[in-house]
Amino acid sequence: MTNTGFVFDVLIPVGKIVAVILYPMLMTIVMIWLERRVVALMQKRLGPNRVGFQGILQPFADAFKLFLKEDIMQDQADPLLFKVAPVLVMFSSLLAFCFVPLGEPIRIGTYQLTLWIAQSPVGLLLVLGLSSISVFGVIFGGWASNSKYPLMGALRSVVQILSYEIPIGLTVLSVVFFARSIDLVEIVNHQSQAKIWFGFMLPVSFVVFWISAIAETNRAPFDLPEAESELVAGYHTEYSGMKFAFFYIAEYAHMVLVSSLVVIMFFGGWLAPFPNVPAFAFLKVIPGFVWYLVKIMFFLYLYVWIRATLPRYRFDELIRLAWKWLIPLALLNFLVVALIRYIL
Amino acid sequence: MGPQHPSTHGVLRLKVSVDNELVLKIEPVVGYLHRGMEKLWESLTYAQVVPMTDRLDYIAAVSNNLAFVLAVEKLMGLEIPKRAQYIRVILAEIQRLASHLAWLGFMANDIGAISVLLFGFEDREDFLDILEIYAGGRLTVHGLRIGGVPYDLDEALIALIRKSLDDLPKKIKDIETLLTKNRIWRHRTEGIGLISAAEAIEYGLTGPALRASGVAWDIRKDIPYSSYQDFDFEVPVLRGGDVYDRYLVRLEEIRQSTRIIRQALDKLPAGEIMAKVPRVLKIPAGEVFHSIEAPKGELGFYVRSNGTDKPERVKMKSPSFINLQSLPLMCRGNLFSDIVGILGSLDIVLGEIDK
Amino acid sequence: MNKVSRFLKTFFLVDILRGLAVTMRFYFGRKITIQYPEEVQPSPERFKGILRLYKDENGKPLCIACKACRRACGTNCFDIEGVRDPGTRTMRPVKYDWKLDRCTFCGLCVEACPTTPKSIRFSEEFRMATADKSRLHFHLEDMYLKGKDLQKFFQGGSKT
Repeated sequence: MTNTGFVFDVLIPVGKIVAVILYPMLMTIVMIWLERRVVALMQKRLGPNRVGFQGILQPFADAFKLFLKEDIMQDQADPLLFKVAPVLVMFSSLLAFCFVPLGEPIRIGTYQLTLWIAQSPVGLLLVLGLSSISVFGVIFGGWASNSKYPLMGALRSVVQILSYEIPIGLTVLSVVFFARSIDLVEIVNHQSQAKIWFGFMLPVSFVVFWISAIAETNRAPFDLPEAESELVAGYHTEYSGMKFAFFYIAEYAHMVLVSSLVVIMFFGGWLAPFPNVPAFAFLKVIPGFVWYLVKIMFFLYLYVWIRATLPRYRFDELIRLAWKWLIPLALLNFLVVALIRYIL
Repeated sequence: MGPQHPSTHGVLRLKVSVDNELVLKIEPVVGYLHRGMEKLWESLTYAQVVPMTDRLDYIAAVSNNLAFVLAVEKLMGLEIPKRAQYIRVILAEIQRLASHLAWLGFMANDIGAISVLLFGFEDREDFLDILEIYAGGRLTVHGLRIGGVPYDLDEALIALIRKSLDDLPKKIKDIETLLTKNRIWRHRTEGIGLISAAEAIEYGLTGPALRASGVAWDIRKDIPYSSYQDFDFEVPVLRGGDVYDRYLVRLEEIRQSTRIIRQALDKLPAGEIMAKVPRVLKIPAGEVFHSIEAPKGELGFYVRSNGTDKPERVKMKSPSFINLQSLPLMCRGNLFSDIVGILGSLDIVLGEIDK
Repeated sequence: MNKVSRFLKTFFLVDILRGLAVTMRFYFGRKITIQYPEEVQPSPERFKGILRLYKDENGKPLCIACKACRRACGTNCFDIEGVRDPGTRTMRPVKYDWKLDRCTFCGLCVEACPTTPKSIRFSEEFRMATADKSRLHFHLEDMYLKGKDLQKFFQGGSKT
């Protein structure tokens, strides 16, 4: 076995795996900082700006504090489930990142470095499926805490995920119809060939998907499972220290994951914008990975912006919104898309 | 729920029975903040009680001062100079603005609009600054004395008040854009926490909550005190009796308060700011009840004097306490999430409930 | 027509977009945060900081130990004893204990003070944090401490 073989066969995959673990963590830290600063600025405040330049080290300080905190498990908790829950949540969101392509393959000599760990022909389904597993962690966490607020948070979470998986599935289908593939890389490649992003072709799909995605990630205005003014902290009320940090990181990782999906499915993944306009051809010089990051940062920003603006939905209205508006809309959209696709 | 809970506005405990999310029964448990205020006052002179009343409804200290001071003055049969009465009105209405803006923030936060909490508090800050310049305190102002007001309003302060009033409508408009027309806000408030006019009267509901149920009752208008009859203002009354109407009534009260303050500033008469009060205040024996329209509702003080410099008995009729008892009625048939919204719409302050 | 426009407004999330516009405006708007240790808000004239005893321009204490502040106080903060100064025939305090932890900053003592200018007044000092509870009890000499000396006292410096 040659030296280069070792590098390509072992080091690079291991490096990628490490990167996939680090990447959501890093994004979480950026995201915590972004969230605190942006929400503060929107509230006429300045937000954390003391620790490091513009407070960029604040999330590290927070994380460090969490690591040092005492890990409390109350007596009435179910010990096994209580411990499994955060791991499950974390595991599912990290695993899903394996299938998310971060950029186009980079050619180093004869070797093609792909910016994803695995390209699966059913990548989209896998990512959606894996991200849905995290709800088990939420249920386990809420149930095992054996306490009122976590239990209610967990119950709300179940209903929410059940309702919002459907519009997500339906809108994803319309994208799949156009891309003729459920391989995430293929979806992006198809947008590259079509020279138009699906977001502009299927605006309804995009809006429905985005609203459902906010609900899936338990973010405002759909943050019912952890509604602070009602359920204290929802399903992770009884968690502290590292276990709490796991839930926290997983939540942000989930947001990053969903933003990645939106970018890949509707906004061309790593593709540079304006592929049709020759004047903007210079934008292609910037590597795809950067474009991808810029795009997901926009959607993460949108998350924070929405959170800073809207009040919280109520439980029954959440369900009503899903079943009376989003699902019919998604179905209609699906039918129209199917028809168009059939005719073309 | 509670006593340690982010949205019980203090240390209120609610025993809630729920069927999944549906509220079956709700029972408020009060007393976690009891400080024995009424008993304490029996060992203090009248002048010493006034700063203590700041600690009841700590969101609206001047209103408490006003209620107690008016009760004692009524017992003494004291005539207050017109200028002092006007300054009292100005301070009380500034306090109403501050209280309503703080309420707006709390309420919005309960329903999940985190930014409005900050906006409401920022707007309130202007009025707290005025009170701070006037009397040196922001929350526990101690802004009134028996017999009048301790300080006069000078030109600089009047200009500042006018400026703050001019800035207010724009700020309120932003908050309205974020809430009044917002669909989520309307879903969360319309038709929630219903209480009819008859029930409201039966339960002794007072203040904006009563007026949102269609009962036109405002002590400022109906039993004017401290020269409120001199001012032209409207009492907003809505018929819905839900959280949304209580919110609208308070917003309209903010506008009416600015009207009252402007009129009082325009018409501010010259003259003394303190009536002649002896240094050691001995109140003639007797008993009296006087109530005012505080930001949260009817706030009354019953004072019984035995001719010494200390009250024999003081009983307080606090609006928060009385409004809280209609919470179980309002919550019937609503969902768990609505409890915080309804509780928020009642505008309770635990300092006033537990005394 | 009205109904249609309302439906369209609801469908295209007009209310929500307008709300987002408001927060976006604030995002670029003026900020109200005061960066505390660097910037300090000026205290108004009547600001109720910690109570201090004052001396006249010759450095002589103003207090005449009349105990009016003690009588006015609603929370029993004061414990005062005075002796008659044999030279000037005026009362001077020999003991002036004041308990910060009992004080409610109501200002009744300041109003009661009969001397001109008033012997006991609110200062502008609002930093009253200490790790040692006994530092909340002031004696006669401590009542004159101000600024840095007062902070040193709170931090556990010279105690009288």
